[in-house]
Amino acid sequence: MLSNLIVTNQKVILIIDQLNRERIALKFIGSLLHEQGEGKEIKTLPIGTQLKHVASFETLLNECNNNNINQLNQSEPTKTGCNIILPTLADLLCYQTPAYIFDFINKLRRSEHVRRVFLWASPQNLQHTDADYILAGCEYLAELVLRLETDTTLSLISRKPGGGVTNKRYTCQVSKTEFQVTPLLDAGETNALAAATKIEAAHEEAAKAADPGGTFKIELDEDEVVARNALTLPYERTSEAAEGNIIYTPDADDDFDDEDPDEDLLI
Amino acid sequence: MAASVLLACGLNEQKLPGFVHISEESNVDGSFLISCILGQRLRISNAGTLLVCLQHHYQHYFNAGMRLGYNTNIFLDKTLNVIDVLSDMARHGLSSKWLRSPDGLTLTEQLVKDIRNQLANNFPNRSSYTILIDNLSILFNLGASKQQVQQFCLDLADLAKEHDNLTVITKLSNSDIHQLTDNNVAKLGHVRIQVLRLKSGVFREVDGRLLIERVLDEGSYACEQSRKEVLYKVNDRNVKIFNPGEIGVKV
Repeated sequence: MLSNLIVTNQKVILIIDQLNRERIALKFIGSLLHEQGEGKEIKTLPIGTQLKHVASFETLLNECNNNNINQLNQSEPTKTGCNIILPTLADLLCYQTPAYIFDFINKLRRSEHVRRVFLWASPQNLQHTDADYILAGCEYLAELVLRLETDTTLSLISRKPGGGVTNKRYTCQVSKTEFQVTPLLDAGETNALAAATKIEAAHEEAAKAADPGGTFKIELDEDEVVARNALTLPYERTSEAAEGNIIYTPDADDDFDDEDPDEDLLI
Repeated sequence: MAASVLLACGLNEQKLPGFVHISEESNVDGSFLISCILGQRLRISNAGTLLVCLQHHYQHYFNAGMRLGYNTNIFLDKTLNVIDVLSDMARHGLSSKWLRSPDGLTLTEQLVKDIRNQLANNFPNRSSYTILIDNLSILFNLGASKQQVQQFCLDLADLAKEHDNLTVITKLSNSDIHQLTDNNVAKLGHVRIQVLRLKSGVFREVDGRLLIERVLDEGSYACEQSRKEVLYKVNDRNVKIFNPGEIGVKV
């Protein structure tokens, strides 16, 4: 299920919809949360004309804080914080400036009382003149970017707190109530792909061997590779030394003075 | 006269969906749809209609109505109310409220205010009410920004949600440059009618295509939609509808 991939520890989740499903954005995200048993702690901003009031945004932040304090008072063993589903980016941009939207998302991201923030963006609905940059900014803020590419494929970019980034593609089967996903390359397909790659590489090698026109031999055979790997290059040797030593080998004609080796430097 | 086109669009019933959007592609004219819908609404007894004239003035709709077999003047100021922006501007010139912003309101805010006033005066006396807006793209010509037009449409959608038996019907000529605005307006409703050119060029017996998209059910992850395509021909006194492939060149 898609919800297993989306409802994780990542905090800011951006869904880029290229299929014009914006009208069901709220339902879509709500269903993902319900599937993972997190349907109770969902908070949303009022949609439509209410978005023109900055107070609506402030109220949402305050509600999150108050809700969290209540949870702490009740000392429930449940996870703290609430899930926030923002209105679609097109609707937000209709009433607020990009700077305000980024600032608000950042506030939510930094808030301890917010568990997850969901933002939906449909490029077909973004009519701001700088829509591309704004979308790129949202992608930068997001830790998980789900891109609904076609009716049957999607991609998921995940940024881990340690800095690791994964980009995986999935095939999907969508019905009105279910969203099933499977990784685009399963084991069988990977093996098949690897075998195909090997065959292709073998063909390439054969083609190269058959071509006598090359002036330089730039490929290495196995022995040469082993010899190359065994060779320690001078800069590697110097970097291995724990402390800096001056190795001086006097010539036969040198009049080397042990007491003053730096005589010629005149320091 | 126009029953077949309304039947094809699913707009022939007494109760219409809350928000209907008509998208007009470049080089085609979908104004006939507004006249057809207007005639159908006026024929229903005690159903109120508000016509917001942006592309044509009221006289145009009167003339079109006479050709389609109804007289708007009979209903004027009874079940039909008109906000005639164009005539007002022609009458008052630069002192017209649509060009001056007297209360510090923008053009679209002024329009919303007037629509709300009309609604407050007339809606309680009517069994149903329809707001027809022809055409949103004129707002761009009058200086409104894309954001303002979108806000205007969101206001209208809110009105439709606030009132039962209220239908808002908008039309937008996207002119190949307002496609994004068009998408944003269309998502507010469940019915979208696209007036499209013929792919193959022009044909004497067909003017264009109507693509009618209707959202039947909004699921959690996907919408159940119906799509229907018909060909149309606007004649002098009626509108004819054909199924694709029904009409062709006879050799």
